[in-house]
Amino acid sequence: MSKLAPLSAIDDLVRDGDMVALGGGWLANHPMAAVRQLIRSGKKDLRLVSNIGSIDVDLLVAGDCVAEVHYSMVSLEAFGFANHMRAGFESGRVKAKEIPGLAMLIGLDAAGRGIPSISYVGPFGSDLIDCNPDLKRVKCPFSDRDMIAVRAIKPDVALLHVTRCDSDGNAQWHGTVAPDVVMGKAAKRVIITCEEVVSRGEIVKTAAATGLPGYYVEAVIEVPFGAHPCSHVPRYAMDAFNIWDYSELKPGDPKLADFIARLRGESEVEYRARVLDRETAQILRTLADLGRPLAEAA
Amino acid sequence: MKVETHELMVCLIANEVRNHGVVVFGSYTPLAYSSYMLAKLTHAKDVTLIGYNAIDMSAVEMSYFGHEAAAYKCSTARMDALNEVNSIHLSHRGTVECISPAQIDGSGAFNTSIIGDPAQPKVYLPGQAGASDVAQHYERMVFYIGNHSTRTLVPKVDFVSGNRWKISATERRKHGLVPGPYKVVTNMAVMDKDDEDRPFRLVSVHPGLSVEDVVSQTGFELDTTDTIVTPDPDTVHLDLLRTRIDPRGTAKLGILGGQERRDYLRQIIEYEWQRAKDHLKLSAAA
Repeated sequence: MSKLAPLSAIDDLVRDGDMVALGGGWLANHPMAAVRQLIRSGKKDLRLVSNIGSIDVDLLVAGDCVAEVHYSMVSLEAFGFANHMRAGFESGRVKAKEIPGLAMLIGLDAAGRGIPSISYVGPFGSDLIDCNPDLKRVKCPFSDRDMIAVRAIKPDVALLHVTRCDSDGNAQWHGTVAPDVVMGKAAKRVIITCEEVVSRGEIVKTAAATGLPGYYVEAVIEVPFGAHPCSHVPRYAMDAFNIWDYSELKPGDPKLADFIARLRGESEVEYRARVLDRETAQILRTLADLGRPLAEAA
Repeated sequence: MKVETHELMVCLIANEVRNHGVVVFGSYTPLAYSSYMLAKLTHAKDVTLIGYNAIDMSAVEMSYFGHEAAAYKCSTARMDALNEVNSIHLSHRGTVECISPAQIDGSGAFNTSIIGDPAQPKVYLPGQAGASDVAQHYERMVFYIGNHSTRTLVPKVDFVSGNRWKISATERRKHGLVPGPYKVVTNMAVMDKDDEDRPFRLVSVHPGLSVEDVVSQTGFELDTTDTIVTPDPDTVHLDLLRTRIDPRGTAKLGILGGQERRDYLRQIIEYEWQRAKDHLKLSAAA
């Protein structure tokens, strides 16, 4: 049965209060079209799981969709802090749950394998251990070595953006994968957005590039520029001017309300028409193309 | 030829990259990335670089928009976060890691999490990413700080995001960890520490600064017995950095903060955007 769905399928597949894992990392390949759809459908009290988050997490907090964030890092990198997330944390409106980066991956891995916890040689001495009820100091039963046990992290939903996918959900990343695969295996429901839906035959021909097989996947949604304004290499670089404009919206700024209202009031097709004219789209592709190894660089 | 502070720091960090093992790029830290590229092109040709999910990439140009795509054009394998990252970080394959924390103290503890009382934080910082794990396991740990002051090098961090759990070679071996130095490279000086019970050594102060300048800006004790002046970078390094690796000077983003950094970033993205536009025009004409 085909899993192809419209972007609006997210309205039903994600529920208020769900634990939602967001793929991508840094300013690369976050599932931004899906994030925008969560804002459009006015989701509330989401509990986000973000390994290395940026504008994905911050925008959802700005859109008032979030109750807590499980993260190892969230920042807009050279653009500055994730100001809306910070304001949410600092006012107590949003709960901050920082966890060591590797512990998050291990907790997700445990969920995907059906194990209640996995222990590893974790960051002893970090204050993050004893203030987190999902981490515990234990001893290796064989060697007596000190270890940190990580409780399984079980997202209700994972939102992942990929390059190509077939209608069964066989998903291929051509560029940055970040924590997407482990999130996909951990979550109860996986929603794939993709730049392009391709035939099963096309996937079969390039099966080595498939990162997540279809049996994990519940819905496949075709959204070109679905990571915008983040990068999706090799197809496009990040839209730094778009992120720039966003990063100038400070919490409490009346322009922020307009910004969110505009996102809410337009479809994804209208969003693309507004922010990605033909020239911008071409420039974003060119910027990715111009990234060169030094041997070739002019 | 005047050496800019960020250039000096890039060259100092490049010297910490040895010709073996794996180096994983963290979050977008162009100063550290430039150091890795520089090492890869010169004295560390056999080091394996991993940028984003591109394993064993060649050195790439530090274009702000292009370095991610470039990494995939010259790598031999791909990884997803869990499978490779944990195998590298936790099984002693990683050799050098650079972190730029908001605070560091004399015990080696660093803070990238919160400022203020942990029960009621005044400021939430971005978080440690994988640094709390990496700091413990890696052979060499480099902290780089662009604004050396008693606000960043503090008597005691507000919150321990992580630390080099064991520091001396003896203690590290005893706990199954690879021995290696703990270094701090700032805009003023180079420091290192190789013993839990002894203070950081002030290895060198950058040209034009005195030991007293650095000590007065440092919130913890320093051993200044053998402090020298930081030697100038190798001219070959400097030339490669300026002309090939980082012609737009993205590394400088690593030492700037706040509005200054944003203004500098704006120049870089405007330049590269225009370059892409010009490229498109040229290809259309051809």
